[in-house]
Amino acid sequence: MTPDATRRRAIGQILLLAAGFLVLVAISTASVLLVNQTRSDNAGIVRAVEVEGMISTLLLQIRRAESSARAYFMTSDPQLLTDHEAAVATILPNLEELARSTSDNPAQAQHIKQLRASVEVRLQEFARFVDFIKGNDKASALAMARDVATGPTVKSITELSAAMRAEEERLLSLRIAAADRTQQLASAVTIAGSGLVIALAGISIFLVRRSANARDGAEAMLRENNLNLETTVDERTADLREANDEIQRFAYIVSHDLRSPLVNIMGFTSELEELRGDIFRRIASLARTQSAAPAAPDNATDSAEPVLEGADKQLSQDFTEALGFIKSSIAKMDRLITAILNLTREGRREFQPVQIDTRELIETIVSTVAHQAAEAEANIHIEPLPDIVSDRLAMEQIFSNLIDNALKYLRPGIPGELHVRGRTKLGFAIFEVSDNGRGIDPKDHQRIFDLFRRAGTQDKPGQGIGLAHVRALVRRLGGTMSVSSELNHGSTFTITLPIRWAATNRNRES
Amino acid sequence: MSNPVTIIMIEDDEGHARLIERNIRRSGVNNEIIPFTNGTDAVKYLFGSDGSGLAHKGNALLILLDLNLPDMTGIDILRRVKENAYLKCAPVVVLTTTDDSQEIKRCYELGANVYITKPVNYESFANAIRQLGLFFSVIQVPAAAT
Repeated sequence: MTPDATRRRAIGQILLLAAGFLVLVAISTASVLLVNQTRSDNAGIVRAVEVEGMISTLLLQIRRAESSARAYFMTSDPQLLTDHEAAVATILPNLEELARSTSDNPAQAQHIKQLRASVEVRLQEFARFVDFIKGNDKASALAMARDVATGPTVKSITELSAAMRAEEERLLSLRIAAADRTQQLASAVTIAGSGLVIALAGISIFLVRRSANARDGAEAMLRENNLNLETTVDERTADLREANDEIQRFAYIVSHDLRSPLVNIMGFTSELEELRGDIFRRIASLARTQSAAPAAPDNATDSAEPVLEGADKQLSQDFTEALGFIKSSIAKMDRLITAILNLTREGRREFQPVQIDTRELIETIVSTVAHQAAEAEANIHIEPLPDIVSDRLAMEQIFSNLIDNALKYLRPGIPGELHVRGRTKLGFAIFEVSDNGRGIDPKDHQRIFDLFRRAGTQDKPGQGIGLAHVRALVRRLGGTMSVSSELNHGSTFTITLPIRWAATNRNRES
Repeated sequence: MSNPVTIIMIEDDEGHARLIERNIRRSGVNNEIIPFTNGTDAVKYLFGSDGSGLAHKGNALLILLDLNLPDMTGIDILRRVKENAYLKCAPVVVLTTTDDSQEIKRCYELGANVYITKPVNYESFANAIRQLGLFFSVIQVPAAAT
């Protein structure tokens, strides 16, 4: 899986979560709104029912007043008059309450206005009727009662109250319908919202499962890759080891076989040298007999140089020079071959890790180079050094090479100051051998570690093997080495070695 | 050497063979030297066509042996010589370029009498061979077992 795809997937999941959250918020909001709507719908319904009740109460009180007035007319019982008066007293407050309850509806307000007028007329009629009875004017009262019963006031009150009741019925049915709608809407919103949430949850689960599967797959692949990597590394290591061994064998055989012809070249060159002696003695004696001058006695031994003149002398010198070059070249070649042989032999030696008192080891080396140091007027300072577990001989070779080099390449006329320092860091011991000698040009820093390569003025004997050998040893001991130096400002060689080197001899298994 | 001892020189490098012969002669040894440049011929001469070595019964031999031969290693020849009833008393001088300590040890274990590493430096080489010649002139070599 590419990083891009991973990022896209993460963004998708965040978006999904956000969508789910939004849906939940929307559902909650809608629910709250709808519940409020339902409450107000219900309040409207309740009010409509109440208004109807009030209309009934009003009409009831009017009827009560009417019937009690009539009964009073017939019996003249004062108790009935009291009833009538109590009923009349409730009519207007009832009407006012009805007016307050329906004040929001202009149609009902209109109705109330008319109703109030009719009711007031009716109340006046009641008052007049009661007055007639109190004045014993029974005839007028009877006539009035008859008129009123069929009169417009009673009729209008009945009609108006019927109209109001109808209006309230209408409102009631409207409000019930609205409440139904609201409830349906609420359930629809809830169902849709729940559905959406479930769908989102489903998608989330699917995505999570898919990414979990992808992760499991990736993990399995990683494990497999790790295994493969390990086997690959093992294979490569084995290959490298084989190649290294082969190179070692090759170097050994080549250097070994090169020696045989060298013996011949050297041998026959020496034979040639002897022949040269014979030839030139012969030439000398011939020259002498020609010039008839018995200069040297004939008993001159073989080793004596024959006396030669002019061109013969020149010839003899040329001969000697040529032979000299051949012999010095052979000697050099022999040294190189010996060096390679020693190096390969060293490469085949098995290292033994032992506890090493580093300071003691360095002091021993310093004591062996004391003479050279005195000649070069050099002081060697050994600072506190960490002890390590490593191969003793290899350590000796490493430090004696470095100290030798430091003494060898001091600046003439300047007393040498050599320092051997040490410290530890993260399981490694870091050693530094520094001097104030002639230094090494930075462009030669790599070169000096190459076999048979040297840097700077070639005024000291050497084959260019020491540092190559040291670096090979350091590497075999599981360490690294580096140099920091500038021309005329001394050099510092830094060697990092594991403090506890476990013998991982590269050529042990082969 | 008093009795007529034959020197068998097994050396693949003819230059070396020549230098060795010259320097032995210079030390005053005049015995017959039979040179071989490969192992096969030398083995054929030493052990005869039947491989028993019977042909040399009663002869006194001294063997100069190089280890690096083109067709076989000198160590094989050394082993066969030392295992052979007629030849096992013949002194074997291993003269080779190898100075590997394992190799040297092995040769002595197999019964080599002398092991000499050829010095590359010719003065040392010539000196070593002359001294070997002087050594040849004084040692006693038994005749092959009867």
